[in-house]
Amino acid sequence: MKQTGKKTGLIILASIIALLFLIPLAWMISTSFKNDFEAIAGGLNWIPEEFTIENYTYTLLGEEVDVPIFRWMFNSLFAGIAGTAIIVTIDAMAAYGLARLDVPFKKYLFPLFISTLMIPFVITFLPMYMQFSNMGLLNTYAVLIFPYTANAFGVFLLYQFFKSFPKELEEAAHLDGANKWQIFAKVVVPSARPILWTLAIFSFMQIYNDFLWPLVATNTPDMRTITTGIAIMQQGSFVSSYGKLMALTTIATVPILIVFLIGQKQLIKGITQTGIK
Amino acid sequence: MEEARLPMSKAKRDRRSKLTSFLFVLPYLAMFLAFLFFPLVYGIYISLNDYNLLSKEHPFIGFANYTRIFNPDSAMNALFFEGLWNTIKFVVFSVPLLVIIGLALALLLNSLPGRIRGLFRTIYFIPYAISVSVISIIFLWILDTNSGLLNNFLMSLGFDPVPWLTRQPFAWISLVGATVWWTLGFNMIIFINALNEVPEDLYEASSIDGASAWQKFIHITLPSIRPIMLFVVITSTIASFNVYGQPYLMTRGGPGDSTEVLLMGIVDLAFEQRELGMASAMALLMSLIMIGVSIVQFKISNRNQEGRKAR
Repeated sequence: MKQTGKKTGLIILASIIALLFLIPLAWMISTSFKNDFEAIAGGLNWIPEEFTIENYTYTLLGEEVDVPIFRWMFNSLFAGIAGTAIIVTIDAMAAYGLARLDVPFKKYLFPLFISTLMIPFVITFLPMYMQFSNMGLLNTYAVLIFPYTANAFGVFLLYQFFKSFPKELEEAAHLDGANKWQIFAKVVVPSARPILWTLAIFSFMQIYNDFLWPLVATNTPDMRTITTGIAIMQQGSFVSSYGKLMALTTIATVPILIVFLIGQKQLIKGITQTGIK
Repeated sequence: MEEARLPMSKAKRDRRSKLTSFLFVLPYLAMFLAFLFFPLVYGIYISLNDYNLLSKEHPFIGFANYTRIFNPDSAMNALFFEGLWNTIKFVVFSVPLLVIIGLALALLLNSLPGRIRGLFRTIYFIPYAISVSVISIIFLWILDTNSGLLNNFLMSLGFDPVPWLTRQPFAWISLVGATVWWTLGFNMIIFINALNEVPEDLYEASSIDGASAWQKFIHITLPSIRPIMLFVVITSTIASFNVYGQPYLMTRGGPGDSTEVLLMGIVDLAFEQRELGMASAMALLMSLIMIGVSIVQFKISNRNQEGRKAR
């Protein structure tokens, strides 16, 4: 009897906390369907008095103010997908090489890579800006993709996996006459698929959600990402049009929320696997 | 790896094999050198120059940027240390909350019936998926003095509206609150995993000894999750040191300069005043401070650990 009472109490507590997490998002969606007058008037109505989709048509189609939202969305998705593809490919190769193959100097290379996990991002972002600026590559996709591919996180994550990968599978393939590349592509990668997805989801979220780097590395409206684009709108044309801003943030959040909800299990696995050990 | 079928000398085979293996590492190594190692070295070099983007000459000036930062009469001294002080305030306010509430939520979730645990875990974890600019703009709106949800709610209860973003200490409360809301889920996930790895028989043994839930928490749970606790403290500290988006978008560094964190000062110096050399020097110092703080946290935790063993 007492036990059930305690359980109910905990569920109620958990539900109240859940509301605290959901209310800001629900309010964002609610506001995005209000006109600017109703939004600014304040109040606590969750269902808009005058339900309108004009904020969405305005931001998507652009009327007096041109919001290149499709372009921003494309930039973010393209950089996210391309960057993720590169990261997963090169990190898997490097981690497998370091964990399993006779890579020269691997005793030094792996610690060198891993030690950079300690290096804060602030140390590299200014010189990296200069580097791209000197090469005339600011405001290009290169700047939105390549800096993320140097991160040693993926090598670290996959190295641990490949270290514990059973040798027998590789040896069997080797006896069948497969070379290193064939073993890697046909035996190793297929069995590493779950952990590769983990890395992919992490990388995509990181690139899609990054703020400071794309903010300083791009300055033309065409090359903004969605996260920096909405910040620009908040400081510019939409400065106090909260209905429109909330429509914009809702649109920006939908793709990443889908990725998050689908990939949640992999994400959690990645966090707990790299956490420690 | 032996290639028995090929009639090659052992040394030659060995070299071939090493070369092939090296090709596996080469693509990542190239990215690593170009976008991590090179910037690191280049950043140190820039910090030793009077590197203003607007002037053509960038003379080498040795450690002059650094001595200016440490010279109390220099404007750079005020910029750096006031920014650093504001950043440290944010770290001190946010990290304990991120760690303690993160652990509390993990404990709460673990005590829920299995069927609904996953649902609540997902809900608490959702904000982590959203970008800092979206989070900041949502909170900017919710905390708006006149039209915001929070003040309208408080007014409906008969309270006066609170200037959440334009007066202290409310500005700090708002920034810390938004940050906790945003990143708490990450710490919670790490703690859930740590709690699940505490051996069940430890709890059973202490139940037989008649230990209360609180005693179990203090004497079994906390010591068992200690390394994870350290990891969460260090990663949360680093993340809080890097704070930028929230004050940049929510308070614009205000009221006054009270929430102008160091990274905002560095970005402003680099991209508004175009003083890349000085900004790089500050970024380097900031990184050294962050690494130093991590090492100290690690040492303190290890010393306590040894003290415990000695007893």
